[in-house]
Amino acid sequence: MARRISAQTTFTPTAVADTTAFTAGQAMGFWKGGSGTQLTRFWEISISGQAASSSSPTFMLFSRDSTVGTGTQSQQTGGTDTALDPATAALAAVVGVGSNWATTFPQRDTANHLANCSLNAFGGVYFWRANRAEECFLMLGNTASNGECSLSAFTGGTPGAIGGHTIYETQ
Amino acid sequence: MFSKRDLEGYLEIDHRESPGFTSEEANAAGLRRVATDVGKGTRAQIPVVNCSHCQMHIIMNPLRTRDRAYCPKCDRYICDRCEMVRVASGGLCKPFTQVVDEFMEAAAKGMLKHGA
Repeated sequence: MARRISAQTTFTPTAVADTTAFTAGQAMGFWKGGSGTQLTRFWEISISGQAASSSSPTFMLFSRDSTVGTGTQSQQTGGTDTALDPATAALAAVVGVGSNWATTFPQRDTANHLANCSLNAFGGVYFWRANRAEECFLMLGNTASNGECSLSAFTGGTPGAIGGHTIYETQ
Repeated sequence: MFSKRDLEGYLEIDHRESPGFTSEEANAAGLRRVATDVGKGTRAQIPVVNCSHCQMHIIMNPLRTRDRAYCPKCDRYICDRCEMVRVASGGLCKPFTQVVDEFMEAAAKGMLKHGA
């Protein structure tokens, strides 16, 4: 098993409704299983507000996706994904990480919001960490709805600049 | 001895240096149950567990007056939505770990409908 951290230095999310296709640069990140039977646990989500001048209620959601992305997945500017331990061996099937897709963008599932990660991006901080493996969110396979997760802004509020990271572990 | 409190994760929403959420914004964000804790100049540190059936976060609101939904078959807390299903079905318990097990078993038998 290998824990990895995917981080986003800074970006401003765009509020998107459930079951609506994202477009480039709108979500903080998508994670898609690397194979049809891959199991990944999410251990930690951290978001720090970076808005500079005014109140920015930002309604972030960690959710399963009812439509998974297709085509080449890539990071937006400031997006990274690396192993926590530099000695970590590469996975045979790497978890897809990134905000952009070459062909089809995902859609957030209405019925499978896993965590409300809302914060005021003007000085606010959101942080969650699981205590045990059985309390982690699971991503199973690579098909809808359990095979892909997203961290993105729900409609409402006034999303402001944020940065943050997510720690996940693939079996 | 096992205690369900051993499962609790840690959730923090820090608005000490932020305008935080007004009660209207907290309502819009779905955080109305902890609205008093995430306003201007406040920091909420809250225990949180996952629903055993659907994995959704359950914020352990200390001000909750209703019973916390609980599944006696898997001996875990569940969310209110899954509790409604459990009661309506006469006690159905399908923890997410069972979903994983069934998925892996189907994959091993080559019976997945949407395999990659």
